[in-house]
Amino acid sequence: MDWTEILQFFRGSFFKISLLVFVGGMTYRLVRILLLGWPRDRVKSRGSKATGVVKTYLKGLLVLPFIPWVKRTFNKNALTYIAGGLFHLSLVLVIFFATPHMLVWKSLLGFGWPTLSFPVSDWLAAIGIIALIVLLINRLTHPVLKLLTRSPLWLNWTLVFLPFVTGYAMTHHMLFRYEVLFGLHMITVDVLLIWIPLGRISHFLFYFFSRTIHGAQAGKRAVTP
Amino acid sequence: MKTQSAINTYVKEIGGWAASQLEACTRCGLCADACHFYQATGNPEYTPVWKTEPLRRAYEQRFTIAGRLKLAVGLDKPVTDEDLKHWSTIVYEACTLCNKCAMVCPMGIQLGPLIHDVRSGMAAAGVVPGDLVAATMKQKDVGSPLGVTDKTWAERMEWIGDEWEVKIPMDVQSADTLVVFTSIELMKFPDNIAAIAKIMDKAGEKWTTSSKGREVVNFGYFEADEELTKLFLSRVFDAAKELGVKRIMISECGHAYDAFRWTAANIMDMPKNVAITHIAQVMHDFWKAGRIRLKKGAYDDGTVTFHDSCKIQRRGGIIKEPREILKWLAPSSFKEMTPNKEQALCCGGGGGVISIQEADPLRFAVFGMKVDQMKEIGAKSVCMVCSNCRLQFTEGVAHFGSDVKVRGLSEMVSQALE
Repeated sequence: MDWTEILQFFRGSFFKISLLVFVGGMTYRLVRILLLGWPRDRVKSRGSKATGVVKTYLKGLLVLPFIPWVKRTFNKNALTYIAGGLFHLSLVLVIFFATPHMLVWKSLLGFGWPTLSFPVSDWLAAIGIIALIVLLINRLTHPVLKLLTRSPLWLNWTLVFLPFVTGYAMTHHMLFRYEVLFGLHMITVDVLLIWIPLGRISHFLFYFFSRTIHGAQAGKRAVTP
Repeated sequence: MKTQSAINTYVKEIGGWAASQLEACTRCGLCADACHFYQATGNPEYTPVWKTEPLRRAYEQRFTIAGRLKLAVGLDKPVTDEDLKHWSTIVYEACTLCNKCAMVCPMGIQLGPLIHDVRSGMAAAGVVPGDLVAATMKQKDVGSPLGVTDKTWAERMEWIGDEWEVKIPMDVQSADTLVVFTSIELMKFPDNIAAIAKIMDKAGEKWTTSSKGREVVNFGYFEADEELTKLFLSRVFDAAKELGVKRIMISECGHAYDAFRWTAANIMDMPKNVAITHIAQVMHDFWKAGRIRLKKGAYDDGTVTFHDSCKIQRRGGIIKEPREILKWLAPSSFKEMTPNKEQALCCGGGGGVISIQEADPLRFAVFGMKVDQMKEIGAKSVCMVCSNCRLQFTEGVAHFGSDVKVRGLSEMVSQALE
């Protein structure tokens, strides 16, 4: 088996398997939570739950990422806010709007969309990599994070970091031949997809639960979420 | 054995609500700097999400495949008796359930209510700080956490009536409003009871107190023992039913307001057609409806600030009402502390912390930040709508040798009545 064959396998049939595991696993996680039981809230509201939910999403998606200091804890954790924010920005934009990634989505969904120019997505990827390294150093040194971090979290970091660096190296033809780097990129992506439903990276799904709950709790009390 | 009863409680409590939020946590640690106990001490164990650790372990190890695997290969630890003891001091002595952490959490996780759930496991396992248990038992047996008997209560109410020359109606059938006070007011801030009586009287409200439902504080709720919480709530509800009142008004007490207004309906049957309200809301309603008139600028002689009580403002929503009153009473000298409103910093006395002597150094350390906040704006007096906060402020201000005057809003309003 040479690298061309390895690449074919990991971007072909094994990628499909990984995707299935990812979708199946996340569906299991979702259904499991939904089936755990949700007792009805019998408390009479003072304000509107729906308003609270809308406000918290607007704030969470439009205000806090750009002006995080409204939370007033910004200056004590500027590193986490900035590096964390930039990492997520980079992740979302690169996954959905870097041309090669959009083409993967197109092959899966049947339709495409406009993408970022190469220099932009390239810089974004570099920012993502730097942010990840900063976050890792922070996690290794901050007393609170040292206490909170359990071993699977290091694996999370590694499994997210690898597709980033292999992807970056590949577009810049660094270190190895293109096929080798592309192969490594696909292997790490596949492993990541399989890992996500098992670990905390799945928070992107539960974010919608906790945000909705937060908005509803604030809304029913007529408090700004 | 202890651990098992705690875990059983956790398993019972975990539904989609708790589980989805536990799953959402990314261990980012941002909640640490929301917590006044962490800010004051720098102890990483006071990080809010770390306080939910026993609940997380119980959840993951019981409900998730990954959790069971991690336990099997030794990547996660089971909850032990020692753990419970350890976390008991953390969740009862270094947390006021103020829920500021939920405002800071990027995922919006309701850490306060989750820590309340952690406490309920502790209560089931019998690992609750002694002082808190003692007060709870007094409330169960005598009817008041401060040990106020029926006789003392009646005598004291009569004395307040005489001393301040106010009428305090007792057990009046078919009154509109049942007013329930705290033992703290009765024993330490009688002026507040007199003030509320004066306001009710001036507004022409048909109101009463009840000798059966005479304590609004709920130490079962502090402990997070659901059965005791319900027992203490039911004493007031039964009184309300017997007297046939239309609403129950909580006096200046935060945790009680939380228990009556936002919790009771979900854990027990409430008397039908009886509304729950708080004195801060009621005063505002009276004033807006013209039932009481307040002297404008009555307190315009030195900076006045307002302390947001976590259970009445952030968790209760009565945010603009007291401010509107204060801006009327002190239009040019009312000043906000920073942060304020739903982002305010808790005083450190809530959640039962003030009743645990062992936690005194902690709550004073936390209060130091409140002193700084007041200094920043040059406050001459600070006002609040929770007697528990007021007690913490009174003791805290004395502890730090500050000369800020601590007041209850009702007391201020009653003196500004026209």
